Amino acid sequence: MATKRCFQTLARQSSIFSPNPSLQYLHRTLKPHLQTLTLTLASTSQTPKDDHIWHSLILSPNTHFAFARSFSSNRGNDTASDEDDGVGDSEDEDGEISDGEEVLTANRREYSVEEKETEAAAIGYKVIGQLERAERVFKDYEPVFAVIQIGSHQFKVSNGDCVYTERLKFCEVNDKLILNRVLMLGSKTQTMIGRPILPEAAVHAVVEEHALDAKVIIFKKKRRKNYRRTKGHRQELTKLRITDIQGIEKPDKTAPAKPEKSPPGKTEKASVKK
Amino acid sequence: MSQRGVWQLKRLTVNYCNWGGSSRGIRAFMETHLPAFKESNPQLEVVTEEIRGNRNERVVCVKNMTPEDVLECATKLRNSLGRKVLKLKTRHVTKHPSVQGTWTTELNL
Repeated sequence: MATKRCFQTLARQSSIFSPNPSLQYLHRTLKPHLQTLTLTLASTSQTPKDDHIWHSLILSPNTHFAFARSFSSNRGNDTASDEDDGVGDSEDEDGEISDGEEVLTANRREYSVEEKETEAAAIGYKVIGQLERAERVFKDYEPVFAVIQIGSHQFKVSNGDCVYTERLKFCEVNDKLILNRVLMLGSKTQTMIGRPILPEAAVHAVVEEHALDAKVIIFKKKRRKNYRRTKGHRQELTKLRITDIQGIEKPDKTAPAKPEKSPPGKTEKASVKK
Repeated sequence: MSQRGVWQLKRLTVNYCNWGGSSRGIRAFMETHLPAFKESNPQLEVVTEEIRGNRNERVVCVKNMTPEDVLECATKLRNSLGRKVLKLKTRHVTKHPSVQGTWTTELNL
């Protein structure tokens, strides 16, 4: 462990002390390929300021990433930092070792391939449809319900309901979603139970907002031990409005009896126009 | 007031409502005394603004923030509804909780 830590600090110092463009080019070319550390024991005894030795030894620029990998599962910043300048590169490497900044880089990871987005959407059981543009999607209430699963939470929803879920990552406000993980459908006369899901059922929803929940204060105290901690937390939520449930026969809604004056009048007008 | 000859008040914003009854005094002030007040204080910038009804404004301090952080703030404001942030009672808000009838102990399928 001590040797690992030593090498980490030495590598960091060497990257500071040698901002040569050639070395940075080495960094960039070698980064995607080399993952392993091939350092001889004799080199560890050298002083950190011997840059010419370190030039040959810094063959795996991911070394200090390797130690940092134990804290986070993904190092998505490799692709991002490839585009940066050489100076920015070394600054990124220095900054990413701390735990706090790793969380930030993980959040800002870019899903460049659209397939990744759809895969992740499948994990969250939603498919992004199209954005709304002057469409009439919000219908009246229909006596049909569906049991839906989003992530690990299940809801019994009907037309026009609002559901608050954990923040769904790949959708914007006013997006149309299709929730394809439907566990049960029901109406006044019929009930369809899925095993575990109904394959031909679909529930349409619209994203209303991405907002933060109210603040909860997490307060820890151990009495007589001089230990007291206060932490504030706001959960990120997404509000979905369910618009349509498909996959079950809906009871026909008979139109309310309108006064008989207006329909004949309308037909007369139509005939006159023709 | 003035400190060493320099007036301290630079700008005065007068918010009033044309409809509400509580603004009667301020509306009368604007008609009678405000012009004289403006003339006697030429250094003062007086702005009148009509605020009809209630406003729902959220003010966010972006002091010492990077452009990316300010963009995130703006995006968050755009994504939110603007309602008062209260603790959620339930995660599922519905007006018609039952389709097939609420379950009772006497229910016979």
